[in-house]
Amino acid sequence: MPADTITSTSTNIAVPPVRSVLSEPGWVRFLLIAGALLFLALFLLLPLVAVFAEALRHGFDAYWAALTEPDAVAAIELTLIVAVISVPANLLFGVAASWCVAKFDFRGKNLLITLIDLPFSVSPVISGLIYVLLFGLNGLFGAYLRDMGIQIIFAVPGLVLATIFVTFPFVARELIPLMQEQGSDEEEAALVLGASGWQTFWRVTIPNIKWGLLYGVLLCNARAMGEFGAVSVVSGHIRGETNTMPLHVEILYNEYNFVAAFAVASLLAMLALVTLVVKTALEWRFGEELAATRH
Amino acid sequence: MAIQVSGITKRFNDFTALDSVDLEVRSGELLALLGPSGSGKTTLLRIMAGLESPDAGGLLLNGEEALGLKPRDRQVGFVFQHYALFRHMTVFDNVAFGLKVRPRGQRPSSAEIRRRVTELLDLVQLSPFAGRYPAQLSGGQRQRVALARALAIEPKVLLLDEPFGALDAKVRKELRRWLRKLHEDIHVTSVFVTHDQEEALELADRVVVMNQGRIEQIGSPAEVYDHPASAFVYEFLGQVNRLDCTVEGGIAHIGDGALAIATDGGVQGRAVAYVRPHDLGVTPAVGGPARISGIHVVGPDARIDIDLAGLALEAEMDRERLATLGIVAGDRCAVHIDRARVFAR
Amino acid sequence: MVAAGSDAVPAGRESAVTVRASLPLFRKPSVLPGFGLTLGFTVSYLSIIVLVPLAALIVKSSGLGWSGFWTAVTTPRVLAAFQVSFGLSFAAALTNAIFGLLVTWVLVRYDFPGKRLVDALVDLPFALPTAVAGIALSALYAPNGWLGKPLNELFGMKVAFTPLGIAIALTFIGLPFVVRTVQPILQDLPPEEEEAAASLGASRLQIFGGIILPAILPALVTGFALSFARGIGEYGSVIFIAGNMPGLTEILPLLIVIKLEQYDYAGAAAVGTAMLAVSFVMLLILNLLQQWMRSRHAR
Repeated sequence: MPADTITSTSTNIAVPPVRSVLSEPGWVRFLLIAGALLFLALFLLLPLVAVFAEALRHGFDAYWAALTEPDAVAAIELTLIVAVISVPANLLFGVAASWCVAKFDFRGKNLLITLIDLPFSVSPVISGLIYVLLFGLNGLFGAYLRDMGIQIIFAVPGLVLATIFVTFPFVARELIPLMQEQGSDEEEAALVLGASGWQTFWRVTIPNIKWGLLYGVLLCNARAMGEFGAVSVVSGHIRGETNTMPLHVEILYNEYNFVAAFAVASLLAMLALVTLVVKTALEWRFGEELAATRH
Repeated sequence: MAIQVSGITKRFNDFTALDSVDLEVRSGELLALLGPSGSGKTTLLRIMAGLESPDAGGLLLNGEEALGLKPRDRQVGFVFQHYALFRHMTVFDNVAFGLKVRPRGQRPSSAEIRRRVTELLDLVQLSPFAGRYPAQLSGGQRQRVALARALAIEPKVLLLDEPFGALDAKVRKELRRWLRKLHEDIHVTSVFVTHDQEEALELADRVVVMNQGRIEQIGSPAEVYDHPASAFVYEFLGQVNRLDCTVEGGIAHIGDGALAIATDGGVQGRAVAYVRPHDLGVTPAVGGPARISGIHVVGPDARIDIDLAGLALEAEMDRERLATLGIVAGDRCAVHIDRARVFAR
Repeated sequence: MVAAGSDAVPAGRESAVTVRASLPLFRKPSVLPGFGLTLGFTVSYLSIIVLVPLAALIVKSSGLGWSGFWTAVTTPRVLAAFQVSFGLSFAAALTNAIFGLLVTWVLVRYDFPGKRLVDALVDLPFALPTAVAGIALSALYAPNGWLGKPLNELFGMKVAFTPLGIAIALTFIGLPFVVRTVQPILQDLPPEEEEAAASLGASRLQIFGGIILPAILPALVTGFALSFARGIGEYGSVIFIAGNMPGLTEILPLLIVIKLEQYDYAGAAAVGTAMLAVSFVMLLILNLLQQWMRSRHAR
């Protein structure tokens, strides 16, 4: 055997795969990977594929017709309107909440954090129900609102309120841990260097949290556009008026108009996919940035 | 006086961080606040900068009452322990920040800002790194950026919180010398916090030793090392043998009368004598009262463990002296104390 | 002895004034501005959007009185819905705990092509609107669907419009909770303990059972609890596949919607309150269980 072959063989022995002692035999690994992938394919991938397959079942023309039909267009518009109002509202709230929670120590802080997370543990249907109980005709303020001629339930304000409720914690819960980890050193440095409070906030805090902010807004927006249970309760399902895209999907599906239902659903699925792609990209980028702060 | 601290007290709930502290910092000096963690030194520094406010007391900066002033109006430069560099800004922008945030009327032109930042980066020898981000710098480089950033606003006083705390030993030594030299060049009144006695003694014009929210001693490095004012300072600065003793009529008896030293009076009864290892003399003596239990050579010095009737002592001498004495572990010897301080218990 | 006259401070000096420790402050002072503004805004917004409306739920259901409330939430139909919602959520969460652990294990420990894609795919149920998931699952498992047809023809199994269909929808919805909770813990597990166990002669299975599983169990339980809680409240992905037959495949959230449609606000509020209460109690128990496990595994 030539000498260089021996050398290379011994090198292979000297540098074993990192976790050789800590891994399973090849066939076990193969089985486990296969099992996991099969499970994911069956439970996650197949439903996603089904959406697009059903939507295009009768060809692209039928698909396009379903999307450009007036009620569908109205639903798309309404969904955008609701998101355009509720996402900035929760963005503002998330920044304010994380500023006071992460930069200051005060009594009741943990309670506040728990309460901010509360909407996540409430069923979407209950999230809608509570506004019906407040503002519906038989609700606590129902009679008063009727006299004033203000309609909240079965109207856009109700949709917005319910959406704000279900997407309430998204931005805050991304920003709070991020800002807590970053601490207040940089803000203090800026103040000592002569910056005002606003200058410190815009020039130091915001640039440091921008990716976390974007991440939170992204998830908030995905949920705002896709929310079903909560808006279903407050919407009243008036076609062309109080139907958001997910509600429109339901109506079409219940009318056995499957192609149209899946066509609208495919738009939402695409939104989900875009969200996932941007989210994953942010995690790679943002993960590095976070790691860079941990010296 | 550049800084005058009078009767400053600060409490965090039940913990008293500063207990009525008085301190004067002279113009142009480099002063060290030295103490163990929890001694209140960082809190004092942060109060000077306006990052904390005291519960009681007064603070004058260059003769002006400063407690009512916000940090931004105090004109102090502050170097944070972990630098607190703005991670999303380049080195240049970090240094320029303090100038850029000034109100429109007082803000230098951008050409002027560029000139001054370049000058500062030259001063801290970081000009080639102006376009880098903090994450791309080494610890020592970050430290220097933090310093340049603090100096950019032309502070009347410079405050440094554990400036070398996060650096490894070698860089720390280099940077220490460099900072000393920088201070000699620009002569801005500077206060730095440290828990490292060597750093304080080497760098500072005067050292303030703090413990449990109070000042134990203020003096030049030589004064605090050679004449510690309290048992705490003795123990905190350098190695020391701590020997229980009984004082009668001005004589301290150590270890059942095996050793005796004259005290400067005032102390009676049970006490503790403090002896630096290099103040403990060893002479070989057959049948002497003590025994050499071990000898450790560390570089040019030798550390000698001595057993004096069950009492463990440590002496220190250079290797030449050790060779002259010709002692080895196991030998009997006599010990004598060249210098000691006795404090009541 | 000591130098420098005025500078010297005698050691051990008694402080002239002893002040009693001040009462714990509402807030630790800070130089950063904006505390009042942001806290004020946060609390007001939280109250208007979350706290007051949730209080309305309690107020409305308390209007029934205790006996009225009890009657409203113990009708056979409501009790059956409780059974369906909690039972099937439990089953789905259990499925997720097992398969979620498998998926996490594979994602953390092994390398295979497309791993990053698979990792991103796990979040699909978070991102995909529930109604879309609902109709997709329903179409898949319907008697003539891609999966429903073979299952029916080969095994005689019916999935859509049966409790099994609900469990599948809830499994879909809950999977990421388990994976995303266990993943960071498994990732940060120091290899030393496993190496130590291996050097002492433990088999791979013994190492998994004795070293790895105890370390990730608290996270696994948390993931299970989150998945379970999400399942109880879930609406959109379930109603299409459930068939919604009272007493058999009618879930609690749907029952609330039905009561609302019948203008039975108080009844809806009562069921909602009961649902919230039971969920919170269960989450509390699981939290305690988890704390107990964590304290046992503390180093």
